[in-house]
Amino acid sequence: MERIPFWRNVKTIGVLAQVVFVMVLLAGVAILFSNVTSALSRANLPADFGWLGSRAGIPIAETPIPYTTNDPYWRALLIGLLNTLRVALVGVVLASVIGVAVGVMRLAPNFLIRTIATIYVELLRNVPLAVQIVFWYTAVLLPSPPRINNPVELPGGVLLSNVGLAFPFLYPGDRFAAWWPWLVTAVLAALVGGIWRARVARAAELPLRVWPVPVALLLGIAAVGYAVAAFGQPEKSALAVDFDVERGRGTVFVDLDGDGRRGAGERAVPFASTVVRVELAELTTSTQNLSESRRMVPSTFRFPLIRDRDVAEVEVGFVDADAAEQAGYRLHFEHFPSRGVVYVDHDGDGAFSRGEEIDPVTGVGYSGVELVMTLRGFERAIVADRDGQIRTPSFRPAGSALAADDGGGDTVGRGVGVFSSFGAAATEAEIEPLRAEVDLRASGPLVLSRVHVPVSSYEGGMRLTVNYLALLFALVIYTSAFIAENVRGGILAVDKGQREAALALGLSSGQVFSLVVFPQALRVMLPPTISQFLNLTKNSSLAPLAAYGELFVIATITANQTGASVPVALLLIVSYLLISMVFALVLNVVNARIKLVER
Amino acid sequence: MFRVIPARPAPSGETGVLAWLRRNLFSSAANTLLTLATGAVLVSALAGLLRWALFDAAWAQVWANMRLLAVFRYPTDLLWRPLVVLAVLLLLLGIMAGAARRNEILRGAFWWVTGFVALFALTAVVFWPSVRWFWLAAGLAPFIGYGAGVARPGLLRAMRWAWALWLVGGFALLHGIVPGSVLLRIAPTRDWGGFMLTMVLFTAIVPSFPLGVALALGRRSRLPAIKTVCIAFIEVVRGAPLIMWLFVASLLLPLLLDTDPNNLPAILRAYVAITLFSAAYMAENVRGGLQAVPRGQIEAAQALGLSGWQTTSLIVLPQALRAVIPAIVGQCIALFKDTSLVFVVGLIDFYRVTEVIATQPASLSITGGVKLELYLFISLVYFFFAYRMSVASRQLEKRLGGGTR
Repeated sequence: MERIPFWRNVKTIGVLAQVVFVMVLLAGVAILFSNVTSALSRANLPADFGWLGSRAGIPIAETPIPYTTNDPYWRALLIGLLNTLRVALVGVVLASVIGVAVGVMRLAPNFLIRTIATIYVELLRNVPLAVQIVFWYTAVLLPSPPRINNPVELPGGVLLSNVGLAFPFLYPGDRFAAWWPWLVTAVLAALVGGIWRARVARAAELPLRVWPVPVALLLGIAAVGYAVAAFGQPEKSALAVDFDVERGRGTVFVDLDGDGRRGAGERAVPFASTVVRVELAELTTSTQNLSESRRMVPSTFRFPLIRDRDVAEVEVGFVDADAAEQAGYRLHFEHFPSRGVVYVDHDGDGAFSRGEEIDPVTGVGYSGVELVMTLRGFERAIVADRDGQIRTPSFRPAGSALAADDGGGDTVGRGVGVFSSFGAAATEAEIEPLRAEVDLRASGPLVLSRVHVPVSSYEGGMRLTVNYLALLFALVIYTSAFIAENVRGGILAVDKGQREAALALGLSSGQVFSLVVFPQALRVMLPPTISQFLNLTKNSSLAPLAAYGELFVIATITANQTGASVPVALLLIVSYLLISMVFALVLNVVNARIKLVER
Repeated sequence: MFRVIPARPAPSGETGVLAWLRRNLFSSAANTLLTLATGAVLVSALAGLLRWALFDAAWAQVWANMRLLAVFRYPTDLLWRPLVVLAVLLLLLGIMAGAARRNEILRGAFWWVTGFVALFALTAVVFWPSVRWFWLAAGLAPFIGYGAGVARPGLLRAMRWAWALWLVGGFALLHGIVPGSVLLRIAPTRDWGGFMLTMVLFTAIVPSFPLGVALALGRRSRLPAIKTVCIAFIEVVRGAPLIMWLFVASLLLPLLLDTDPNNLPAILRAYVAITLFSAAYMAENVRGGLQAVPRGQIEAAQALGLSGWQTTSLIVLPQALRAVIPAIVGQCIALFKDTSLVFVVGLIDFYRVTEVIATQPASLSITGGVKLELYLFISLVYFFFAYRMSVASRQLEKRLGGGTR
């Protein structure tokens, strides 16, 4: 028998081909590697990770964990990763909810609903995500909501402005330490109880409901623990507040030496509940012609947001009452006492009507009219933030605006007046010094932090910036269109007979959907939907379009600042691969769980 | 005696407009209520949108910047070049649509694109005197091509070469061939932009196709070294988002080739990144097709004495690729949308031009800006092409057997 020559032996050819392939590959990699090293050394760029520890100096607006610009690069990058997860996790939940809703709507018997859902899906799937992000960011969320000192007040203490959305939020208070062992116990008990209940149900072969047992255990133990922690023996604390009423800023801290001032080494305490009281004070502002929500808003004045419950008595007037009377200025409040317009009653009906806030001579509003708000008995409950800071409006002593104005003469010579007001301190006798007191209140394990606007930023509560919201909206809406298609496909994949059989058994149409159709559809739609979740997470790297500080944004800034392009690229690739692997793992687990058990 | 009684028409209550209305809009009290409520919301929203679009929107600013949107800063006297490339594209499309007259899907797509271009040609004839004749030529080219295709179906066989020539020649013409000359001088790539750049980057799908097929075959190879390398490439590239690869490519390509970054135009770096990224996804699509080819086909080919190479190229690949055409069209849609990410390497593509226009003094002087108008306009253009492709993909899926194989 003739032997096959070695050059025609498939095995030999295979081995040879691989050897050649690997050698070519290695040679290519070696050339590229030497190129990179020589280019890096020539340009004197870092090729190691030594820069991770040096000062980053990157300002980040949203920091889930404490961060200052003095922190090192690794911490900035970690915050980027956390911000990625923050937008991705919330996005996944919202996109699923909307996606399922739209997917079901696409199969609705009602023609209008069906059409709206179809348009939604087709429109959003076929427009680039980049365009959708900048649309939400620069065409909707930045220009449309009003400015921060004129926020839209939604029910439940939610505020919306072009800075972002803020809502009341629960934070762990000083008793939280006493509560959390109870929480751990509650979770463990719920797990054990749930497993026990499921076993009992299986052993008894009865359709027992499993979920009430663990839920009752969880809530019950947590509630008992909360009560014990809240009403138990209060800890002897040496907390104090270092508050500067002129600046409107204070810090809650552990007062080690008992002098009431925060010295070095005295730790700030987060989320302490305080009450700030100011007996008599005033705030000043002047009118402006603003561009807001895509239109001009003339003659507008805005004091810091003061609510009825904050003050015992409040009044707003002109700093220079004589000049105002001469000019015929009147005040119209859109929201007493904080916001409104100055107008002149041209039509003489004694009330504000549109157009009266515009000067008929110049055609623009009355800007620069100085106003003063006098507050008596200001009292506001403020929960300190993560860094122990509390803020109030920057009050001034009552009478100081008037005193400054008296020294300045009439409003025509206002420019001169400002300078001469320093010399007019002779009227100081009329000015009452500011008196403020801050009380610390005992709080339970959780503190409800409300939102307020002391100067021109949200304080307290949970704040979501416009950047975050824009990215979140765009990602959620874009991904939900794809998920809706998966849901529709999943529902259509359920055999028609299943539905008919369920109806024949006498189930209601709601029951047919939730007990028979949806669980079976889930099997079909879950795998592609999980890969949509991964897409959403990866798409969050379009964040530079909304100026949101997530991983990719921080990494690009880092690469630009340090020049460490190769290490940053490696870090980015590894991070995204890890995220993808986590999703792949979840997908595998889900696939194994939902696989049809064949007998 | 039996007499066949002709079928009676359906009861009048079950057919016609009224029946449709009753079934789809007013089937029950709850449904009627839903219809009325949704209808009211829809009408008011549409009325608001129309009022804005017809009376409040500053379309003049979009109209005035049409050239920036189309080609960005491509030299004004060379505008004939992109239009010639467009005209030849339409000519070739026309020949294909005319020759393959039974291919309804291709013809549908062809007429839509022709209509779109004809709209612009009409506009050019009336409003854009400087490019009037070239637009007119581009508007007529598809009809000429269609006529040629109908008359000479044999042209179809030459199309493969015509397309390759168009791609290479088009690039050369856009870039310029003879430095210093008037007609064929070099147009610097930093002046490229707008919809032209989007389309140029979109052609990255072409080189990614053979790469993707090679990767897919490599992934199914029996040789462990080749298989491992292919899997590693595909999974690593697919694991990270395109925007990151664009950024990484723009940083690393000059280092990898050890050249001055100025020698590598941003457009080239973006093109390389998009091609490799697209190849990894293409490989996964093609792999799906390869897995769908029954094992018996390969065995039959081997029994006929075909070599391994012949089996792959003549038996396996034709069947595999046919099966994944809808998936590849889907990938085309994704890539078409993803070209908008090249802003990250500083390129001004169709999407990014809006930022340039929005910061013009003329735009800033308009209260509220013109971003809404610009975004609406480019969204419509993106939508037109992406939606048209998705319609074609759905038709293909139906023709290939409901997407199941």
